[in-house]
Formats: sequence, structure tokens, C-alpha cells
Amino acid sequence: MITGRREAWTGRLLLILMMAVTLLPFLSLFVTALHPSGTYPAGLAWPGDPQWGNFLRAFEAANMGALLWSSTLIVLGVVPISIVLGTMAGFAIGHLRVIGGRLVFLLFVLGLTLPFEGVITPLYYQIRDMGLLNTRWAIILPLIGLFMPFSVFWMRAHFVNMPGELSESARMDGANVWQLFRRIHVPLAMPAISSLGILLFLWTWNQFLLAIVLVDDPAKRTMSGALGAFQGQWGTDIPLLCAGSLLILTPTLVIFLVFQRHFVKALLQGSLKG
Amino acid sequence: MTPRSAHRRPAATRLRGARGLAGWLFILPALAFYTVFVLRPITLTFQYSLYDWNGIGPSTWVGLANYGKVFTDPDLFDSLVNAFQLIVFFSAIPVVLGLAIAATIRRIAASRLALVARTVLFLPQVIPLVAAGIAWSWLLASTGVVNQLLTLAGLSGVTRAWLGDFATALPAVGMIGAWVLLGLCTLLLLAGMSKIDPALYEAARLDGAGPWREFVSITVPSLRQEIAVCVTVTVIAALASFDIVYIATQGGPGNTTMVPGLQIFYLAFSEREVGTASALAMVLMLLVIACALPIQWFAKDGGK
Amino acid sequence: MARRVRSGRSGAALVIALGTLAAACAAPGGNSPQPQATATSPASAAPACGSAPITMSGYFETGFPLPKALTTEFTKQHPNVTWNVREDQFAVITQNAPRVLADNPPDLMRLPQVSELVKDDLLKNLDGYATAFGWDKWPASQLEQLRLGQGGRPRGEGSLYALGLNMSMTGLFYNKKLAAQIGMSEPPATLAELDQALDKAKQAGLTPIMQFNGGATGGLAFPLQNLMASYGPAAPINDWIFQKPGATIDTPANLQATQHLEKWIKAGYFQKDVNAVDYATMMSRFIDGQGLFMFNGDWESGNLDKQMAGNVGFTLMPPAEQGGKRAAMSAPLTFGIAANAKNADCAAFFLNWVATDKRAREIGVEIGGSRPMGPADAYMPDVAADKVTASTLAAGADIAKDDGAMDFIANATGAIYAKSWTPNLQKLVAGKQTPQGLLKTVQSDYAGQLEGN
Repeated sequence: MITGRREAWTGRLLLILMMAVTLLPFLSLFVTALHPSGTYPAGLAWPGDPQWGNFLRAFEAANMGALLWSSTLIVLGVVPISIVLGTMAGFAIGHLRVIGGRLVFLLFVLGLTLPFEGVITPLYYQIRDMGLLNTRWAIILPLIGLFMPFSVFWMRAHFVNMPGELSESARMDGANVWQLFRRIHVPLAMPAISSLGILLFLWTWNQFLLAIVLVDDPAKRTMSGALGAFQGQWGTDIPLLCAGSLLILTPTLVIFLVFQRHFVKALLQGSLKG
Repeated sequence: MTPRSAHRRPAATRLRGARGLAGWLFILPALAFYTVFVLRPITLTFQYSLYDWNGIGPSTWVGLANYGKVFTDPDLFDSLVNAFQLIVFFSAIPVVLGLAIAATIRRIAASRLALVARTVLFLPQVIPLVAAGIAWSWLLASTGVVNQLLTLAGLSGVTRAWLGDFATALPAVGMIGAWVLLGLCTLLLLAGMSKIDPALYEAARLDGAGPWREFVSITVPSLRQEIAVCVTVTVIAALASFDIVYIATQGGPGNTTMVPGLQIFYLAFSEREVGTASALAMVLMLLVIACALPIQWFAKDGGK
Repeated sequence: MARRVRSGRSGAALVIALGTLAAACAAPGGNSPQPQATATSPASAAPACGSAPITMSGYFETGFPLPKALTTEFTKQHPNVTWNVREDQFAVITQNAPRVLADNPPDLMRLPQVSELVKDDLLKNLDGYATAFGWDKWPASQLEQLRLGQGGRPRGEGSLYALGLNMSMTGLFYNKKLAAQIGMSEPPATLAELDQALDKAKQAGLTPIMQFNGGATGGLAFPLQNLMASYGPAAPINDWIFQKPGATIDTPANLQATQHLEKWIKAGYFQKDVNAVDYATMMSRFIDGQGLFMFNGDWESGNLDKQMAGNVGFTLMPPAEQGGKRAAMSAPLTFGIAANAKNADCAAFFLNWVATDKRAREIGVEIGGSRPMGPADAYMPDVAADKVTASTLAAGADIAKDDGAMDFIANATGAIYAKSWTPNLQKLVAGKQTPQGLLKTVQSDYAGQLEGN
């Protein structure tokens, strides 16, 4: 391919510019977070005396330990169950081709584009009547339901492409459907399952609407919902608010940087299929 | 034998038992969750939308009156209009800009810089939208970095409190959305471009096509599916926006940034007009489907 | 690839799905738990917290340390009582109040506008407690705003549904250093003098008034209502706030006040980005010395004494004419008990303790910065004269003398602030609303909201 020197140069410049715009908000949060607590810093200016202690104070003020634990519990409640249920249904619809599966599949597809705001009001009353308001179950159970369309859709897309011989030879060895699923298909589906897990983790961790409507106590919310409360509580102290915001977005950031290749792949595939 | 022709026979014979009851046992748990936490609430939303109900006392049947209100009450209808205006920022900017950027960096795709960019551009997708809202409110404040940069560029005349100005609040919210979605679109389009057969470009070049012709007649048509995906994801993000607006403007100033999601939240939980909130919710759900379906259809049709 | 679908059996999925949906057929509200109609609280012996361990649930406002300071002291004096407190911003409390009171009733809660909460039987009627503790012998003006008629209307008379932790009051805080810079040695005594001071500040390149008006909170309601108090009597405004029949906000005096506010806006007396500034930002900027005046309430005096020690003054809004009567927004820091609260007796005992215990009253003044509620002859702690708290306490006495206490115009109905005052004040700033149009719109929204309820 003939690439002009100038073209390559413009490309690099454009990329650097894009990255600068992407990083600017993080930089601004960071610099502001280092100003003395209680001041009102203007623009991007490195403070004369950087207050690294603000992060420690924000960690305590935001009750980060409890928040991390709460978000982890919620993720542990949502992700494994969603994966198991989604994989089973995807297997039955995509591979076993259950009678009537197409219709059920269509029913699930209908929910793919559902805005959560559409069901939040009845969900509130439903959760209240179940006596689950202000518990983590109020976030966990609805999220599993709300993630079902995507999980089923995603896993079906994987199982539809699995060759039938696989199952045939296993059946000849006398395996029943469950053994077939557990021993042959789940191991083969691991790449699809781990991508799904990453996406579900991210969506759960960052879920805001359900958290603020269904759970009042920030310490029982997701990270995102807790950040909303933190903003309400520490809005007068801008450096502290910025430090807290940075702390609250750190966990996903760290996990992203560690697993970035999987993340990018999962997100790209996720949006292509969804 | 290709897998396709192979798997039909066993599925029809050996696995017959599994196509009935046994297979259904695999589906039922998923379907149960979906029914209880999605289908039932959707039905209830529709039901609530036909009543006048404050969420506490008894309710009164009002038929379709709440829907009439959605389309006649300026506060409610404007929120729908605002959501459509947000599409310009959430969708058009990331897709158009994403295409341009992807086309440019495709040429240096193998460089180290491009690899780093892949990581960096993804960051906005990973953090909570709430954090994006807080960070950008601060950037766009009157003493924020945006105005600082504009002043440096000699444009101090246009500086303002971007989120507090009637003319700029909605576009400013839109820019936050564009920031979140641009990286995703760029990378999606870039991935699509790498799948285009280089022979197509060579042929075009032999015909004497310039870079622009190449872009219009080869790149864009080949990316039809990726573009459709970008448009779908971003249009839904615009119509169903909530987190960013809730944090950055709460719908102000003067309702200029009110969106249906936030309006539903206010109506249902603070003004306690559950019926009206539900009617707006129904309209929103239908609008999302009405926007997403044609785009999908267009993409599938073009793919064949 | 062809897939045969036998529709006969494939309907099974739908049947299962629809079966669950059938549960949704009754009209909403029919079978949801209804709050008990408020029984009047026991009137016999004065209730107390007992001696068994008890955990009180509280729902307080963030950013205001007074309630927490009081509950902490209360636990010190009554060790069997512990508190489980949740905090939110006032705007969030306003949004959450009905459902929290109905579904998760707190024993003690910071309340927003109460009319609709009373109408829906979500608050405990406190008449019995008032008799038992003798609250009905306190100066009547303290409790007036907390009394409501049958079904929540009108306000200002009827049964007692809430109590204040103190009486807060609004006026003008000013930065003494900046005041000296423009030669303002005394707070302005008339509206004209205030205008002059604002103009001088503007000429000197200062921000004359630091105010908030962003997001969902139209803070220009503070100066607007203070201007209303300058131009006209307080009583008609109270009638409007209390939803008395025939009351209107669209009066000639209020129009003058709104026009005056518009004049201030056009003269650039408010900071340019006022429509983007929320309460918290306003406070941090004022404390940072970025504004001469700030319309705000005495709930900040304790805080300002700490953060701007010696550099902050307070004055009531001056009247239009020299020596005229003064009026101010003055309202109890309203706390109530949920109709279904588990520990209502203990909560009532706490409210009484706040108004009558010596140490509680000291905390109320030191930390709350406002006058405590309670009997007229109750103990008043001393405050150093150079503190702004001393000025706000004195101002409170002036207002009581001039009978100038007004409730906040944002409290007229539950939704009037968010739905009407805020967007219209924001439009006034942007030049998209006229003073006359503002009052007419607010009045018609108000009428619509009363009709709708």
C-alpha cells in the first residue's frame, strides 16, 4: 500500500489529539483532586502543594471498602447466574433446537433494546411487594432478568455454529443431554462465556438507575449508584469530590487494563451482535 | 462435509428427545427470570399507563388520556424532542468522526501508537457514565478546562457556563455522550475495515480512483453492517439517556435538557404521576424499537 | 437452513409467559399495602424512649451537621438509643419522601413540603404529643407552618404534623473584606442603599451577588422572595404558600419585586454563570471570597463562622423605605415522624428534647446557627458578638417583632419549585421570560397542581 508521509503524519496527529480529548477529563479530575480540600480551583493548574492525602480522605469519606464489597457481592450475584441461565437457554435454542425455540428466541430478542426506564416503575412496586427494597437482591434479581435477552442471544449465536457431530458421538457413548452440555459444550463455549462475563460484569458494576431507585443505602448499591450519592454528599468540597470520583472509577479501570485484550474483543463483539 | 449440512441430521434424529421436554428444562429458568423481571413489568407499565394513580392510593381508569398528555403537555413532548436532538450528538458525531478517524489511522494500524490508542480510546466505555458526568460538568463549568483552552486560543468571547446556558446545555450534554461513544465507534469501524479485501482498493487504484473515491465507493459500503451497529447502539443510548443528564444538569436550565428517561423518573417517583410516567415509558420503549428495527433491517438487507 | 416449527406446541412458551402476566390484571394500587390512616398519637402520659435498647431510623439532609450532632448528644444522654441514619441531598429527599414514608417508614425524617404527604396519610398527626409535651403552649408562630387542615389544605391551621429542630431564616450574608473595599461599613438600610452597594461592587470589578440557580434548584427564589418582602406585606404571600382559597402570587407588589430582580440580572449583579451553579458551588465560591453578597439562610452561619471567621456579616433584606417593616423567609427546619414509624414515641420525645434540653439548645445555636424552637422563656445560650451567628439570632428576634416570618415560596406545593419556579427563574436569567410572564406561569402551574390533587 502506498502511504504518503504526510498522510501517516496526519493520522498520528489525529490519534494523539483523540487520545488527548479522551484523557482530558481524567487529567482534570486528577489535578483538581490534588488541590487543598475546600478550595475552588479554576481550570487545569498544578497545585503549589499537592494534597495526596485527599485520596485517603475520600477513601474514608466514600466508605470505599464497603462500596467495593457491596459491588462485588452484586456482581457475584448477577454474573454467574446470568451466565449459567443464558448458556443453558442458548444451548437449547441454538444447538438442541427445541421445538418452539424460535418463538421463545424472538421473545428474548424483543427485550434486547429495552430501555430500563421503561420498566423501572413497575419494578419498584414489584420489588417492594416482594419485600426486597433496600437489599442487594433488589438490584441482583431484576438485573438477571434484564440481562437475559442479551445473554441468551449471545450464547445462542455461539451454539448455532457448533457442529452436530459433536453431540452425536457423545450420545453414542451414552451421555444424556445434561452430561452432553456439561462435558462437551460448556468447555468449548468458554471463550464466548468469558466475553459474556466481562460484559455483564461491566454493565452490573456501572448500573445506576436500578441502584438509585431500588436501594436507598449507598453502602448496598453498585459503585455507580454510590458515586451518585457521594456527589450529593460532598458536592461542596470539589477537590474531595474529584478524588472520590477517581477512586470510584479505579476498580473497573484496573480490571480493564489487566484484561484489556479480552475487554476490547468482548465489547466489539458485544455491540456487533447486540 | 461442512458443519452446516452435517448438523441437521443428528439434531433431527439422535437428539429428538432433547428437542422436547428435556430441552425446555434448559430454557425455563432463563425464561422465568425474563418473564418475572421484564415481561411482567412491561405489561404492568402498559396497564399503569391507562390509569391515573399516585402510587399510593386507589387508581382511576382514564383510558388513553395519559398518552394524550405525553403528546400535548409541552414539558413531556419536549423531552422526546430533546432525545431526538441528542441523536445528532450521540450518533452522528461518533459515526462520522469515527469513520474519518478510522480511515486515517487504518494506514498506520500496525504502529505502536495505534495499539496504545486502542486501549486509551476504550476508557470512556469502561468507566461509569456517572463518573463521565461528574468529570465533564467540571470541565464545562465557567472556570473549567474547556473555557481555559478557549481563552488560550483567543476565543474568550465564546466562553460560558456550557451546561447552564439555554443555547448550549443540550449540545454540551450531547458532547459528553459523543465523548463516551466515539472510541467504541472508531474501534468498531476500524475492526470492520481490516476485513475489507485489499484487492478491492488495488483495483480501484488501477482505475485511477483517489482516496475520497476509494472511501465513498469501497470503504463505506463495505462497512454497512458496522455502521448500522454503531448507529443502533448510539441511537438507543441517546433515546434512553439518563445517567449523564441526571448528574450534569438534572434537566435544566429551564427543561432544555430534559430527556424521557429522567422525566419518567421524576414523574413516577417525585411527582407521583405513575400513569403519565408509564405512558411516557411505553412511548419511549416503542420509539426505541421503531428506531432500531429499520436500521437492523437496512443492515441485513445490504449485507446480502 | 430450514427449521421446522410446529406452531401447535411452540405456543407453550407464550402460555407460560402469559400465565405469569395474568397476575397483573387488577387495577394498580388495589392490593398494595396501604398506610394506616393516621391515628392520633397517645395523649395520656408523656411518651419516652424507655430503657430497653432501641435503634431509631433517621433520614436526614446531607451537608447539615445539626441533626447528627443532636442525635449523637441524645445517645450520650440516653445510651439505650442508637441511631441508624441515612443522608441525602434535599432535592433527593424531596423526590424520595412519599415512597420512603410509605414503604420504608423512618422514625424521624427531614421533610420537604408536607401538604401532599399529609393528604396521603403518610405523616403522624402530632396533636397528641403536642398536648402531652405542652408544645401547644409555645409561641404559635413557631408551629403555624406545620399545621394543616383536613386532607392537607390549607396550611397554617389545623393539626400539627411536624416539628422544627430550629427556626431558620434567610437574608443576606456579606463578605466583610470586600465590603470594606467598596466602602460599605454598615449593611444597607434600604433597598436603594442595597442597589448602590451592588452597583459599587460591580464598578469595582467584584461579583456583587454570588447565587445558585443551576440544575433543578432555582436559587434566585431567595433574592426574589426577599424582594417581595421589601415591596409588600408578608401575609398575602403566606396565604398563597398555605394554599388559602383565592390566594395569588401574581400581585402588583410581587410584580415590582420580580421586575427589580430582572433589573439586577440585566445589570450583571449575579455572576455570569448563575444558571450553571448549584448550591454547593455557590457556597465554596462565597467562602473562597468570590462574591460580596449571598442570599442564604442562617443554617450556614455556624459553618461560615468556622470557614470565614470574622470576615462574614449578616443582614436582613432591607425594606423599600427607611424604617419600614422587615420580613424574611423563616421556617422551621422541618422534621416529622412517618405514619407507620416503629418508634414514634421515642422520636417525639427526641423532638421535645431538642427544644427543651439545655445542651441541645446550645448545639442548636452553635452548630445550627439558628434560634431553637421551644417555649418563649427557654434558655438561650450566649454567642460572641463578633460571630455572624450572633447577627442571625438578633435578626430572628427582629423578624418576630415585625411579624415578618414567611414560609418559602418554593414550599407552596410539592412540585412548584422543580416544575415552575426553577425553570422560569432560569428563563428569566436567560432573557427568555418576563417578570409578568413568570408570575402568570407560576400562578397557573400552582392552580393546576391544586386542581390535580
